[in-house]
Amino acid sequence: MYRLSRLRYLFPIGLFIMFFLDGSLSKIFASFFFSYPYATVSQLTLLWFVMAYFFEGDIQIPLTFFAVIAGVVADVYYSGILGLFIFLYPLIVWLTRVLAHSFNPSFLTSILIFFIDVAAFEFLNYLAYNIVGVTTMSIVDFVVDVLTPTLALNLVYFVVLYWPISAIFKWATKGEN
Amino acid sequence: MRKFFSNRRLVMIVVALVVAFGLMGGSVTLRNNRLTPPLIQQFGNDIIGFGNDIIASPANAVQNVFTNYSDLLNTYHENKELKQQVAEVAQTKVRDQVLAKENKQLKAELNMKNSMTDYELITAAVITRSPSAWQQQLVVNKGQSSGIRKNMPVMSAGSLIGRVEEVNKTNSKIELLSDTSEAANRFAIEIDGKNGKTVNGVITGYQSETNELVMGQVTTKASISKGTKVYTNGMGGITPKGLYVGKVSRVGKDDYGLAQKVYIKPSADFNNLNVVSIAKTDN
Repeated sequence: MYRLSRLRYLFPIGLFIMFFLDGSLSKIFASFFFSYPYATVSQLTLLWFVMAYFFEGDIQIPLTFFAVIAGVVADVYYSGILGLFIFLYPLIVWLTRVLAHSFNPSFLTSILIFFIDVAAFEFLNYLAYNIVGVTTMSIVDFVVDVLTPTLALNLVYFVVLYWPISAIFKWATKGEN
Repeated sequence: MRKFFSNRRLVMIVVALVVAFGLMGGSVTLRNNRLTPPLIQQFGNDIIGFGNDIIASPANAVQNVFTNYSDLLNTYHENKELKQQVAEVAQTKVRDQVLAKENKQLKAELNMKNSMTDYELITAAVITRSPSAWQQQLVVNKGQSSGIRKNMPVMSAGSLIGRVEEVNKTNSKIELLSDTSEAANRFAIEIDGKNGKTVNGVITGYQSETNELVMGQVTTKASISKGTKVYTNGMGGITPKGLYVGKVSRVGKDDYGLAQKVYIKPSADFNNLNVVSIAKTDN
């Protein structure tokens, strides 16, 4: 039961930290993330959702609900254009669920699913912004300058944070069994 | 496949798409046409801004420690170079003071009100940056309550870096010149050409490959030499006159060979911004 587990506190606190770390890291390492012509997007929030799905075990965290909340906050605070992340975060949670059903859980399949998640997220983000007119970047530039470095950075996040986050969730779900 | 596209789900997807694009289109239009976002959005932004401080303050403190350390390593070398410039700056400053005083007296004589060269700077600290590839946005810790309004130009280290995109009560979003959106960097600028001619124009784009601002559609015959300083010309009423933008790095022809295209190297580093100042005109 989510209500009775330690995850009830741990998951929202982690989400809070990861969400604002995305912005802080983008500011602090700006010369590294946004060195011309590349633009790298930090996706720790997405990482937290995907990891939470992998490690929650029998405890069902209301991920979709939190994804909507995170989406609203990202829309209002980070982009100022409403209506994108509020749908995108829940969509990625749903995508993770669908993909996870067709693979046996392991480190390699997890990283593969996260790879697809990030690529889908960035692509849909690009598509929507292109339609609305926020960006006029061509698709080739998008793949070379945005998608590639973004995937690289977030896979590094994944590899570095997989075991620590796994340990945290193990501790948080231990009380249950 | 038939299960996936069951009626209910299809309707939900269509509704979600319509709502998403409706909201996005609506907020882009609102943002372009209104001076402030809706009150509920401002309120949300203010609350989230406070929350952000919990994470951003320690993160920025750590960054400052590292910046200070690397600054320290460069100090000796920098000091040597700067000493040479100090004497020169003092002279310029004195001259500037005298001219400003004279200007004031002359304006009083003519019964002229404040002109576009009179402005004050509001200093603000950068809290965070949008983790986005397309929106080069910063969030700073000053808002309407400090007198900041939409579209005010933003400076850092003595040169132009962007404009205020959205103001809330206690924080605001700044769009950098390097943003790829259409309206991010349309500043009216002026370049002193050879033989006393002035070239006026508008920044029409940004080239991320070379980190250069582009001033297109220049039809005057005045020749512009490399290294000339570029500054805002005060047209449009919100941006004061005389804000430093950068230096001319090269001059070329546009795609049809009719007009000149001037490339400007901005002097600010858009990726190393901790404190910015927002220029507020007096009139």
